[in-house]
Amino acid sequence: MRSGGRLRASAGALLVVAFVAASVPGAAHAADSASPAASAAPKVLRIGTTTAIDNPNIWAVNSTTEWEALNLQYDMVMKFGDTDLNAAPSLATGCDHSADFRTWTCTLRSGVKWSDGQPLTSKDVAFSYKFAIDKGFSLFSGYFPDGTTFSTPNDTTLVWKSPTPTNGPMVPAWAYVVPEHVWSKYLGASSKQITSADVVPVVSSGPYQMTSATPGQNWTFTRNPNYWGTAPAYDKIVYQLYTNQDALVQALKNGQVDIADALDGSVLPALQKLSNVTVNKVVSDWWVNLAFNFGGRGPGLPALQNLDVRKAIEMAIDKQQIVDKVYPGAAAPGQTIVRPLSKFWHLTVPTDKAIPYDPAAANALLDTAGYRLGPDGVRVDPKSGQPLVIRMPVSDDTAGSDGVGQLVAGFLKKIGITVKVQPVTAGKMYDLQQSGDFDAYIWYWSGDPDPNYQLSVFTSDQCGEGLSDGCWKNAQYDTLFAQQQTTFDQTARKAIVDQMQQLVYDQVPVVVIAYPNAIEAYRNDHVTIADRVPQPDGYILPQYSVDALLSAHPPAGDVAVDSSPGLSVWAWLLAGLVILGLVVFFVIRGRRSEDDLDRA
Amino acid sequence: MRLRYVARKVGWSLLTLLFVLSANFFLFRILPGDPLALLARSQRLAPSALAKQRAIFGLDQPLPSQFVTYLHETLTGNLGVSIISGQDVASLVASRIWPTVLLVGIGTGLAAVIGVLVGIRGGWNRGSGFDRGTLYGSLVLYSAPEAWLGMLLLIAFAGTLGWFPAGGYSSGTTTGLGQVADVANHLVLPVVTLALGYVGQFVIVMRSSMLEVKEAPYVEVARAKGLSERAVRRGHVVPNAFLPSFTLIVLSVGFILGGAIVIETVFSWPGLGLLTYQAIQDQDYPVLEAVFLLSSAAVVLANLVADLAYGYLDPRIDEV
Amino acid sequence: MAFPSPVRSARSMAWRRRRTAFADAWSVFRHNKQALAGAIILLVAVVIALLSPLLVPPDAIDPASATGPTFAPPSLAYPLGTDNFGRSVLALVVVGTRVSLLVGIAATVGAILFGATIGIVAGYYGGGPIDRFLSTLIDWFLVIPWLVLAIVLAAILGPTLLNVIVVIAVTSWAMAARIVRSQALSVREQPYVERARALGASDAAIMVHHILPNVFPVIFAQAVLTVAIAILSETTLSILGLGDPSSISWGHIIEDAFNGGAMVNGYWWWLLPPGICIVLVTLAFTMCGYAFEEILDPRLRGLEKTG
Repeated sequence: MRSGGRLRASAGALLVVAFVAASVPGAAHAADSASPAASAAPKVLRIGTTTAIDNPNIWAVNSTTEWEALNLQYDMVMKFGDTDLNAAPSLATGCDHSADFRTWTCTLRSGVKWSDGQPLTSKDVAFSYKFAIDKGFSLFSGYFPDGTTFSTPNDTTLVWKSPTPTNGPMVPAWAYVVPEHVWSKYLGASSKQITSADVVPVVSSGPYQMTSATPGQNWTFTRNPNYWGTAPAYDKIVYQLYTNQDALVQALKNGQVDIADALDGSVLPALQKLSNVTVNKVVSDWWVNLAFNFGGRGPGLPALQNLDVRKAIEMAIDKQQIVDKVYPGAAAPGQTIVRPLSKFWHLTVPTDKAIPYDPAAANALLDTAGYRLGPDGVRVDPKSGQPLVIRMPVSDDTAGSDGVGQLVAGFLKKIGITVKVQPVTAGKMYDLQQSGDFDAYIWYWSGDPDPNYQLSVFTSDQCGEGLSDGCWKNAQYDTLFAQQQTTFDQTARKAIVDQMQQLVYDQVPVVVIAYPNAIEAYRNDHVTIADRVPQPDGYILPQYSVDALLSAHPPAGDVAVDSSPGLSVWAWLLAGLVILGLVVFFVIRGRRSEDDLDRA
Repeated sequence: MRLRYVARKVGWSLLTLLFVLSANFFLFRILPGDPLALLARSQRLAPSALAKQRAIFGLDQPLPSQFVTYLHETLTGNLGVSIISGQDVASLVASRIWPTVLLVGIGTGLAAVIGVLVGIRGGWNRGSGFDRGTLYGSLVLYSAPEAWLGMLLLIAFAGTLGWFPAGGYSSGTTTGLGQVADVANHLVLPVVTLALGYVGQFVIVMRSSMLEVKEAPYVEVARAKGLSERAVRRGHVVPNAFLPSFTLIVLSVGFILGGAIVIETVFSWPGLGLLTYQAIQDQDYPVLEAVFLLSSAAVVLANLVADLAYGYLDPRIDEV
Repeated sequence: MAFPSPVRSARSMAWRRRRTAFADAWSVFRHNKQALAGAIILLVAVVIALLSPLLVPPDAIDPASATGPTFAPPSLAYPLGTDNFGRSVLALVVVGTRVSLLVGIAATVGAILFGATIGIVAGYYGGGPIDRFLSTLIDWFLVIPWLVLAIVLAAILGPTLLNVIVVIAVTSWAMAARIVRSQALSVREQPYVERARALGASDAAIMVHHILPNVFPVIFAQAVLTVAIAILSETTLSILGLGDPSSISWGHIIEDAFNGGAMVNGYWWWLLPPGICIVLVTLAFTMCGYAFEEILDPRLRGLEKTG
């Protein structure tokens, strides 16, 4: 009895605590958001995304959405052009080079201001570049050859001096201009202090500035009053995080978001049923590959060094089926190593040079090469008598990797090659790549619009601790790589780059399996968006440049606002009252029976 | 309650925390791979730049000196920065605590209240239709994976019927009271899933301790005194049978995070569980370390509370 | 002869005693409807698991050879519909039985072997420094949130079937150890243990010949309950993407469905069957486990008679 009474009292106390805990933050939220009503309702564009919106700090950029935030707020000196992502005027109206390509002079627009009213000058540009280099933010500094210096003869002129010939500004250099008056405070700070610095509200030069951020939930951008370009149609842009695809699709259906970003192919059937949703499949900017180990770091299966075996494998893999089953409706079969998004540089192999899907021919090729079928249906290496068994790690950070791994294993089985699929974490995969402890693996590549980075991965000097997948070495390729680095005429360079892509395709150090699409979707009854970057099948959202999103505007007439699913405020109040009533009822009844007890 | 009992329990908790701290450190130092190197694949990071990045995160120091630094930093509340987002881990984790407490608090509370009430009634009327139905129901719910239950609820109530949101914390389009209702709407499905997943064990535990206490001699004595059945139940059986359930409830609060990982993942509820899931995906070790530490500490604390409360409520503990 | 004859005859007596105990237990078990239902479900599951290579040809679950339409709802040709590769969900569920049971049982065997050994040793040296050390270890493992530990371990070891088994075993041995320890503590005080010690039997021999047989029933009941937990753990790990992607378990089918748009597109036939299988088998193990506990502890007899 004693303990009974005490327990009831403590349960009551708990209830009170729970109530206070539940109501206080709710009240705080309410107070936060009850801002004075604006005279005219601001136009808000709502974007739902599935990739992290954690850190609004430019120096910590990581996820797709975080890159989009940079393009909404900051400018590059030259930007990615709308047609083919080659350099186009932005903060600079143009850049000229000296005859030896070592000195570049960029002319900036005059009268550009930061969102806080301070002028944006060439000093900000020089500061930003030097800051990225000195602080080791290699995402941005990789575009400046070692020893590059910057000078600012006047407010609208920036001079690059590089010890080696460079095409830097016209790649274009993917480095944003940040306000010197904000970041100069951090000149003596460590990288940790810089990346965890609080930056909201952001001082920006682009069309928008971030004015509030709730990490892991939403980011709000407000129009930058001092933007140097044409003012955008929307006053605010809100990014809302949905960490699963289903929730995002539902939000799009209900009209809680106008544009959905970073969707994956699994939701296409549901989206394609909706007439008021336009699906935008973005031309692919990454590829999934099967890479072979050539033994430079650790021994792989020797048979894979035989070109016929690699060719047979390329022929045996039904890329179309992989696309249909793993990335249904949202990928194209893969081919060459420069991704299709880089429209100017990407090579489509001419039909007469293509290696078609043909398992019969693959079997014949292996027969001719002397790899006879063993009694268990597995081919045997004629030199060593070793069966063709491939250890194939599959990295889990590659979208669709499980499916690709299983399908590849299935296809190769049909030509008498056994594949042991080993699913691994990306960290483990890195270890395996560095130690050469695999025969072939499935991983992915992505890179710059400019092909230089992607091409560099296949050079001989990327063996060792470098980025090379399996230490493929080809002297001709290395020569061509050096050549394209110092060829500044676009057409001439394109010819070399094509030759390199063809060479990799012919020699099959990797099988490019698929080019998966990024998927965006928007409510065509809420927003009209004409442009894409690049035209006509690129991104709407500012992955490379903000131009397509700036073309967005509300349709003529009223936009129907849909209600979100769930109960209304009144229904919840009613439910709360009913529950409270029940609790009171039971407590009173309990009291009464306790009185009975005491009387007895 | 003797002071020695309290001191022993507190001491044990501190020792356990120290174990957790060191396990935490060494487990994470033997993880394969180099999370930083992975950035190279998607983000144009030259290998030469990696060495510099490693130095930034202190990954180039020898293990013992890393351990000393780790202990010092952890004890002073500095949990490092996320390798992926560059944010301060302590504040990242702090920002995710509230949604988890809200979800797991309401869900566990609901499960406990319903489970205990059902258990009392079932245990008291053993063998009745109610008892049989709830016992089987509890066993089935106990056997169902929570994530799967959540997915079924999603298909039915968010997909087909469209009554509730399919995930997230709020739709971000409302303010004031509307926002409270909005969050409540987002809470419904995950809370129901969590409650369904946990209610079974409360029913089973409460029911069996009811059965045990019901037969105790002092209950017979109370009956012999002529008390009504209801008075016997409320005054004698329930308060005494409640102890094991009370312990279970306190311990469930400790395991708050473990329960949240799966459900928050299915419903993309932006709490610690989802943070954990994302850290697994990104191999963001500093965040995982912090989560591991925090969740273990929560269980140690809950254990301590349960022990002390038990000592307070059950006088026999004095003799231990 | 390794043992002097008195011990041998004592052993055979003990065996006879145990045989009668077994017959007694069987009659209790047989009269427990829940346990019987559980046993039947388990029998069916085990038969399906053993026969699965015959029931489902390997080509039917090879993504590269599957010929069915993708995401097809149930039909005559595909009674439970198809998945993203066009494989029959029925075939997947049948094949999944094998891996799910294998993981559940193998992890349990590992957990119980380790847990029981620790428990017996700790119990035998009850109160001494060895016991204090082992008990603290047990308590620590009971305290660490198992899912978080499992996630960390799975991330360290990598997602293979063996590692999943190891991870589950590592995170579930402590409960068995604690229960076995307390049982061993009481067995240790029995007169025949004293007698064996007086006769000069070594500690190891006493643990193997006297303590183990007497705590074995507890171990067995605990093992049956652990299988249920292990199967649920495998499901949770798979759903979080920490399972072995190349072996088909029920949890893995659910994960595929979750990631393959089953919820947004309403592919319920892909999600429902594997979950029902998990519920049935877990329920069956749990009911059998309770029945065994009841047999061991006659005090409980009748408590669960309600159903």
